[in-house]
Amino acid sequence: VSLLVCPFCGPRELREFHFHKTLPPDRGSVFEQTYERSDNPEFSVEHWQHLLGCRAWLCVTRNPSTGAVLETLLLGVAVPHD
Amino acid sequence: MPKAPRYSAWSLLRARLAGHRYWQPLWSGRKLQQAYDVVVVGAGGHGLATAFHLARDHGLKRVAVLEKRLVGYGNVGRNTTIVRSNYLLPENHYFYEDALRRYQTLSRDLNYNVMYSPRGVVDLALSDDDFPALARRGNAMRLAGIDAELMELPALERFCPELEPRRTRRFPILGALVQHRGGTVRHDAVAWGYARAAAALGVDIIEECEVTGVRTRGAVATGVETSRGYVQAERIVFATAGHTGTIGTMLGVPLPIETHLLQAMVSEPVKPLLNTVLIYVAPGHAETYICQSDRGGLVMGGHLDGFPSYTREGRWECMEDVVQGALELLPQIGGIKILRHWAGTNDMTMDGSPIIDRLRYDNVFLNAGWCYGGFKAIPASGAACASFVATGTAPDLIKAFRLSRFATGHLLNESGQGPFPVRQ
Repeated sequence: VSLLVCPFCGPRELREFHFHKTLPPDRGSVFEQTYERSDNPEFSVEHWQHLLGCRAWLCVTRNPSTGAVLETLLLGVAVPHD
Repeated sequence: MPKAPRYSAWSLLRARLAGHRYWQPLWSGRKLQQAYDVVVVGAGGHGLATAFHLARDHGLKRVAVLEKRLVGYGNVGRNTTIVRSNYLLPENHYFYEDALRRYQTLSRDLNYNVMYSPRGVVDLALSDDDFPALARRGNAMRLAGIDAELMELPALERFCPELEPRRTRRFPILGALVQHRGGTVRHDAVAWGYARAAAALGVDIIEECEVTGVRTRGAVATGVETSRGYVQAERIVFATAGHTGTIGTMLGVPLPIETHLLQAMVSEPVKPLLNTVLIYVAPGHAETYICQSDRGGLVMGGHLDGFPSYTREGRWECMEDVVQGALELLPQIGGIKILRHWAGTNDMTMDGSPIIDRLRYDNVFLNAGWCYGGFKAIPASGAACASFVATGTAPDLIKAFRLSRFATGHLLNESGQGPFPVRQ
């Protein structure tokens, strides 16, 4: 990964973005969402923020083994795994 | 395999006279057996140390270490070689102090020179807030009988003149917390030394043997499926730093662990210019730690890349942050070239502290979650984990590292950053 595509700003350097957290595949209890990770080296759904840009919250789907970004969506508008 | 020779001045002389045909391979040539008392998965520092202590302290004869790639391929060969025990929380500093004490005698215990160099670890204070925080940590350490010295500028100037603490900087240095017994240990030698010592005690170290699954019957695991066939095991230890999350997936247990990258780099070798380990955390969280290897290269590292990754390719921006910090500390290294740069995969737990516990089955053990502090923990982790596996009871030293602490709220959050593997 060296670029992320912000829905508002277009492709921007990664250092403008801040990784917040990984989302579990199922919406479980608060404990499960906070602490438990079902680690999948090929697929990861994460919350990011375009902190040094438009500050939009994003839902990014990535492949952590290759670094490829599969999808970047605006958080709250569409969440891919719901 | 013939018995490995014991290293000494006498063996050096004998080897020289024998035209160096006297030396033996350190651990290779073992065949994978059908059944073992203990199978350790992962031939990194923690796996090898656990196997070594199982064989030496607990007399277990049938122990195997299965490794997907090669001995020392993972983080034990990728870290920045720093050892220290300057932690604030009692659970952490007693444990890391045990590790540091074992490091002090490790060369003798393993009969292998691990080049322990107590050159001091200097945590720099860059603000009026840093200084009391370091003082508090130093006091906590001293109450636990661990050496720590809080230095103001004159003392720091004497201890590390090459730093020129009074030089005008963007973030002026106000002082430092120094642990004199901290320093560096040659990381590869730790892996090789443990592997050699374990092999000499009869441990089978099998490289290029990937564990792909665990076979179970009821509440017990009966063995592991590997790329070389099924191996029966009475007890299984997973010490697969960086890939522990996938072990959780394999066993159907979600773990409080994410895999993040940490990068390090080394410069071209230069004449001695830095005689200690400097740790510099600038406001805004950019971090650099720097020391000089015995070969002369400046070894540098910094923060995590900041998001989960298995790629082992570091981000350039993070490398830039590390180099900027190094130049801020030591402007005289400005013309030196970076020789190599690499990254390792880290098991980041949600509180920054490790996990040594049973995992789902009574006879499956997990030694994981070392975050970026795994190397300095190796000797203590190996001894304590081996004792846990052999006796079935966790020693007091690692009781706090149980997996259930996340559910019960007994977190060991050294940095106080909340339930996140990276700073928010």
